[in-house]
Amino acid sequence: MLRTSIAQGPAPTVYLAGEMDLDCADTLREAVNAAALGAETVTLDFGGVEFIDSSGTGIFVRLALDLKSQGTPVVARNLSPAVRGVFDMLRVRELVGDEVFPD
Amino acid sequence: MADDKTSAPASLRVYRYRAGAETVEAVLGTLDPEVPQEDLVAHADEALERDTFMCYAVSQADDFVADELCFVPQGDHCDILSIHTDGWQRHHGDHRRSLVEILNDLAAAVACGKLRVLDAGEVERAAADGLTLLERDIRCTADLQAAREAVDDILRETGADDVTRHRTVLCISEAITNMLLHGGGHGAMTVRRLGDRLRFVVADRGPGLNFLNWIEPPAEGGQASMGYGYKIILDHLDSVALHTGSGGTTLVLDRLTS
Repeated sequence: MLRTSIAQGPAPTVYLAGEMDLDCADTLREAVNAAALGAETVTLDFGGVEFIDSSGTGIFVRLALDLKSQGTPVVARNLSPAVRGVFDMLRVRELVGDEVFPD
Repeated sequence: MADDKTSAPASLRVYRYRAGAETVEAVLGTLDPEVPQEDLVAHADEALERDTFMCYAVSQADDFVADELCFVPQGDHCDILSIHTDGWQRHHGDHRRSLVEILNDLAAAVACGKLRVLDAGEVERAAADGLTLLERDIRCTADLQAAREAVDDILRETGADDVTRHRTVLCISEAITNMLLHGGGHGAMTVRRLGDRLRFVVADRGPGLNFLNWIEPPAEGGQASMGYGYKIILDHLDSVALHTGSGGTTLVLDRLTS
């Protein structure tokens, strides 16, 4: 199960924790959309994500592309080796753009 | 497999020729009536005799339909992979290009022995081999996490390292997700212990694999899985076997423990 918390502000951060799979779509979208209201950018902090699979990755990619098209770029930080490994395998950087991963 | 030549932009069929037989049998999908049996038998005989992988590309007059036939010798039999594309390649840049990449990846996995396509009898034996450690019904997305935790516990007991555990759990998650999305939405996972390995059997009674679902959502609001799950499974497990048909799909996933 995915858990989220938000640090609000002009450049809010959504802290993600738990597991990102087929089940995380609504939780992730609600949190990110709430944070994105009036924001210049939204940072997703993956520090607490213990597991992600291709469905969780696909949900993140879709969300990042949607927000980018609405003029609110997304930044992803604090990826664990497990998350980074899956993102690399699925070529997420190519899908969403290098700017999403400034670290 | 629900694909047929009139509705699907691309399909993968697998046939099997047993040395000395006069015909081939369909293992994945149905026999293509437009491909003469005697041609398949002759090529399969040649591949077995030479013990060599053989591949034929067949282009049609409009140069847009491209079929491939691959003959993979497997000792006493020859697996024949038939990839058929239905003219969609004329749409340059069509997102469905990726489907042929997926099918080619699958065909390559069969050709190099990473993926075995099983017939009904073979999958029944593979799914019954060894000692049952765990049986779990999968009915909804909430069961995914519970299944992963159960698999991780078993892997810990075998002394698997962190990377092996993570990769295996990831593969199980992909297999169950595929079942939930495309396999009728429910099924079962069984974990079995064989001499040198753990065997994970993920089985549903859905409509069978339809590769089109991998690139287009099965229903409005649904999610396409892009076929990445299979790529992950093929990359990270020691042995993968598949049976699929109108009675459902079974994946037999092995992780060596010694």
